[in-house]
Amino acid sequence: MISVALRAVRFRGLLATLTQRELQARYRGSALGFLWSLVNPLLLTAVYSLVFGWILAPGRGNVPTEPYSVFLISGLFPWLWASTALLEGTVALATNSGLIRKAVFPVELPPLVSVFSGLVHFLFALPVLAVALVVGRGLGYPVGGWGALLLPLVILLQIPMLCGATLALAALNVLFKDVRDIVSNLITVLFFLAPIIYPLSTISQPLVVKIVRLNPFTPFTEAYQAVLFFGIAPSASLWIHMGAVSLVTWLAGAWIFERLRDTLVEMS
Amino acid sequence: MTEETSPAIRVAHLVKSYRRMAPGAQFRTLKSALLQRSLTRGLHSDEVVSALRDISFEIPAGEAFGVIGGNGSGKSTLLKVVAGILQPSSGQVEVTGRVAALIELGAGFHPEISGRENVYINGAVLGLRREEIDRQYDAIVEFAGLEDFMEEPVKNYSSGMYVRLGFAVAIHTDPRILLVDEVLAVGDEAFAHRCVRRIEEFLETGRTLLFVSHSLDLVERLCDRVLWLEKGVPRGLGPPRRVIDAYRQAVAEEEGRAHSEAAQAVPVKREGDGEDLRWGSREAEIRAVRLLDEEGQEVFVFASGQAVTLEMEIWAPRELEDFTFGIAMTTPRGVECWGTNTDLAGYVGESLKGEATVRVECPSLRLGPGEYFLDVAVHSRDGAPYDYRKKALSFTVTSTTRGVGLYFPQHHWKISGGARLRRPSE
Repeated sequence: MISVALRAVRFRGLLATLTQRELQARYRGSALGFLWSLVNPLLLTAVYSLVFGWILAPGRGNVPTEPYSVFLISGLFPWLWASTALLEGTVALATNSGLIRKAVFPVELPPLVSVFSGLVHFLFALPVLAVALVVGRGLGYPVGGWGALLLPLVILLQIPMLCGATLALAALNVLFKDVRDIVSNLITVLFFLAPIIYPLSTISQPLVVKIVRLNPFTPFTEAYQAVLFFGIAPSASLWIHMGAVSLVTWLAGAWIFERLRDTLVEMS
Repeated sequence: MTEETSPAIRVAHLVKSYRRMAPGAQFRTLKSALLQRSLTRGLHSDEVVSALRDISFEIPAGEAFGVIGGNGSGKSTLLKVVAGILQPSSGQVEVTGRVAALIELGAGFHPEISGRENVYINGAVLGLRREEIDRQYDAIVEFAGLEDFMEEPVKNYSSGMYVRLGFAVAIHTDPRILLVDEVLAVGDEAFAHRCVRRIEEFLETGRTLLFVSHSLDLVERLCDRVLWLEKGVPRGLGPPRRVIDAYRQAVAEEEGRAHSEAAQAVPVKREGDGEDLRWGSREAEIRAVRLLDEEGQEVFVFASGQAVTLEMEIWAPRELEDFTFGIAMTTPRGVECWGTNTDLAGYVGESLKGEATVRVECPSLRLGPGEYFLDVAVHSRDGAPYDYRKKALSFTVTSTTRGVGLYFPQHHWKISGGARLRRPSE
């Protein structure tokens, strides 16, 4: 478990180069280029705002989730990072099989590249969030605050969690091609079972609350909403929850990857 | 100091087995996948394919070591294990010094981004730091000859350009040990030549080469020692000429045998049309064709200049008075090298009946190295075929002297005046 981490650190230069390659290649040849990493989440935000903010209108009145769009993006942007990392990371070994089979190459890098290229996209979207918060403030809503300074800490906690998950999923996907389809479905489920489009406090059934709390992304979503939307520090229990999820996911993911490492080169 | 005393590459009792995978029958459960740890454990022996069985050799620093063998012989697997891409199933592999593996040129090139950016990525994959690539960048571009194309996305490159850039980056990583797998077969002649020159320069500076190739001439030219693998088992290890000749002999014997069996089985056609290999009235029949060496042993491979006898067994059920025996040698592309018959040689047939043996003795057959086909025929004097057998036999000619062409006459170089040359070392 430690060896994967050590190798990731040892090959950080290559990791950075490959992440850069991924980012450069993605929008090469498109007219809007890197702007897509802003346009995509904004369009999604517009759709969700329309459906859930206006048509279905959750918890309006009793919970401070106004303005809804700002509440939405403070959970949605980090979620987009997580979901693209998982989706791309799962197939990362398959798409890079040429590199893995034909070059002396640290196998753990492709899944990690998905996590870090997703992170870069997330960071690029942060100014949009900042603008939204400032505008929200200007309109008289009590959004944003000093809690935002804790954002890097939340991100740092989420990195090992995503790395562990993508490592495990990528390795398993080499053996079972079904993993990719399972993951894409699972991501849809996890999205609706995380308090991203609704605040956790609007759920009245205790059973549903329990299920939502089982979602590993729930503590992170709550933390992002705390530091960004509410501008406050997440509670101690939230920190512990995130830390535990992150540690367990990393350990399990790295363990699975280590177990399967030798077979990955031959089978990917 | 240690580099001089310890070998650059040491392989001891190396075994590499793969599992043969039926699609969908990989692991029964996720649990077994994780708990089994090793894929090879707990499997039935018939599911395991051994790519390499008990390979041992040492390559001292500064040696060029070739590996030859047919497809599926385990050459590439051996190279990948030495490179560290694959793990040995058992045995040890020790490599001392920085390694560059040229298995697939341009591995990791991304089609959408420019040649320049890809040089940096490929360099990083091969273990170069950014500053090192900065320093080598101009040399890389110049070697690849792609000065005008570096800002183009790689997807617009021809496959030759792609390979050139890949080789240029790999060779500029300044490795102590170079592992090369067949990559020189791609790209144009001129560039392949440049690559070989570059590898020779590389060897002159005392570095180590492990070279896997189907190109036996190139192996012979570059390597100090050669390992011949067959189905994962070493068949020979030693000086290039000896091992390569033994390999050629084995391959040609197999081919010759398969070919003559196939030719034997060709049905008779009355008229020669298209690609038919045998035709004629069969009033006389060529039952067997052989090439023999001086001791009367059947051969399929011989050195240029060696004595060779061609032998045909003829059968004529009824007596014939008008008949001619003929032979011809052609290249696989159909170029006629030599042909003659008893008529042209001035003999006049008088009687042919029952079994007969016809021999053509060549005290010194000076064909150039390569593969040839032998056509044989028995026909009437005006050319009506009794039995015409095209490509009745294939054989291979080797040569100790280098050169090109179909004919290798005996010759000597004599140079005088203002030209001075060092004698060949051998």
